[in-house]
Amino acid sequence: MKKKTLLLIIMIIISIFSLIFVYNDDFLYKEKIIKITNIKKIKEDISINNLGIKEKYTTKEIKGIITNTKDKGKEITVKYEESYSSVITDKYKINDKVFIKDNNIKGLKRDFYICIMLIIFIISLYLVGNYKGLLSIISVIINTTIFYLGLLFYFKGANLLIISIIESILFTTISLFIAEGINKKTNVAVLSTITTSLVVLIITYIVIKQTKYSGLNFNELSFLTVPVEDIIIPELFIGILGASMDVAITISSSISELISKNPKITNKQLRKSAKEIGKDIMSTMSNVLFFTYICSGLPIFILAIRNGFSFYNYLTTNISLEISRFLVGSIGIILTIPITTYLSIKIYKEVSK
Amino acid sequence: MNLILAIILLILMLYIDKNRGFKLFLGLIFNFIILIILFYLMALGLNPIICALIGCLLISYVILYFVNGENIKTKTAIKSVIVVILILSVLIFIMTNISRIAGFGEEAYEEINMFSYDVNIDFTNITIALILIGLIGVTVDAAIAISSALYEVYTNNKNLSKKELFKSGMNIGKDILCTSMNTLLFAFLSEFMTLVIWYYECNYSFIDIINSKTFASEIIKIMFSAIGCVSVIPITAYITSNTLIKNKKQMEEIA
Repeated sequence: MKKKTLLLIIMIIISIFSLIFVYNDDFLYKEKIIKITNIKKIKEDISINNLGIKEKYTTKEIKGIITNTKDKGKEITVKYEESYSSVITDKYKINDKVFIKDNNIKGLKRDFYICIMLIIFIISLYLVGNYKGLLSIISVIINTTIFYLGLLFYFKGANLLIISIIESILFTTISLFIAEGINKKTNVAVLSTITTSLVVLIITYIVIKQTKYSGLNFNELSFLTVPVEDIIIPELFIGILGASMDVAITISSSISELISKNPKITNKQLRKSAKEIGKDIMSTMSNVLFFTYICSGLPIFILAIRNGFSFYNYLTTNISLEISRFLVGSIGIILTIPITTYLSIKIYKEVSK
Repeated sequence: MNLILAIILLILMLYIDKNRGFKLFLGLIFNFIILIILFYLMALGLNPIICALIGCLLISYVILYFVNGENIKTKTAIKSVIVVILILSVLIFIMTNISRIAGFGEEAYEEINMFSYDVNIDFTNITIALILIGLIGVTVDAAIAISSALYEVYTNNKNLSKKELFKSGMNIGKDILCTSMNTLLFAFLSEFMTLVIWYYECNYSFIDIINSKTFASEIIKIMFSAIGCVSVIPITAYITSNTLIKNKKQMEEIA
């Protein structure tokens, strides 16, 4: 108990120091940063779009003191036009720190806010999960590093799909071993997750090739100069892993539990119980993916509808990729159930013979 | 293409269980319709935050009552989800306002340049609504996992005290924590891949990336989903153990 409180106090102290550091880290940046000291409204405009919707634009004169580079301490004034809706502009307030490029405001300095979020996340994980919470943070850090390293190889010219497959093996092994320890249950889960994701990969590949990407629109990827096909399949593939792991470990530990309680249990009974457990988890898991993915289509929807575009148009262009992500992920969740059951029965029974 | 994937999904769900699978598929369609109606209401100019709060309630109702059936487990789960959503909505409101992540970053300009930006709807509120809806799935998942596991513990050993029940609820929570974090992480990485490639092509430095609007909003969105999933654990453990003990006392009084 004492150890827990001590560690918490240490974490809070580190957090406070890192917040102070990040708030004052302007010297790390090459771009000019100003701290806004005064904002004055100078002009208001109203613009009307083709549906008759009125939008208010306000031009402001923003005064600020430069906080870094060799001009530190000087005061400068810039003009900034903000809109009521803030679709692409921001509403700045006094004491905000903003980047300046060619006498224009380029954007807010957001590192401080990201730091706050990370601290809330880590401390709440620790408070609830204790030692296990810290483990999951470590697992997140390792996986993100592997993900980043994989992309570095891609930039050097390697095939992204092959990288993703290799990465997926590392991801599953590391995450499951960290979460559940090294034992037979996790071995089965790792094997099932990898098999399932490969099977889903093949299904997705066939469907994509057969339909020649019809009904799928890459608007949101249009900024890339590399061929979209190279990225889309690996992306869908990575999205399967997390949910599939979750289902695989649940099923594999329940089957091992059932066998240890009743070594004489038949394969048929095992399959039936696995299906029962599978039913319970598949519903909530597919909902997790559904809301995590689909909600990101909201801002574009608002823009599209307020511009008079039809819903059908939106469904087939802007959100189609999000829907595919959800569908592929859910197919992964459901396929994990029979595959894990089959592999667990095979491996557990073999050992007990 | 999505149609074919949807048909494959439906067949697989029916294979696992005809009744439940069909209900689940129907539930997903219901939720999709609710979402679209919500999106439309927001586009009409209704307050997005209020829309999102009511929407979250409806969605959790569909997930829990329609798919899992009404019982003591789903009742306590829904109560816990409401408490978490109310607490987090305050935090999300503050965070979205101070970090100015509303609207679109530079990366999306090409996607949205066919639209006029004069829409007269404050996108700060839209972003708050988006984060709220995004975290509902994972929060409901954690809540129902804990309340049903805790119910099992209680039915197997009715002599446990409130404190003991709460403690075992927290232990169950710790077990699901790691895997839930993984589900979120990989969903996030899958969405994030193109963005990283884009940053690389545009020669963004690490410092440029963490200050960009798109990156900040993605990270804040996923962090809130994670925080929702984490904070629902003690709240569900507390509410479920309380309800179970209360029920037991009532039963004893009647007897």
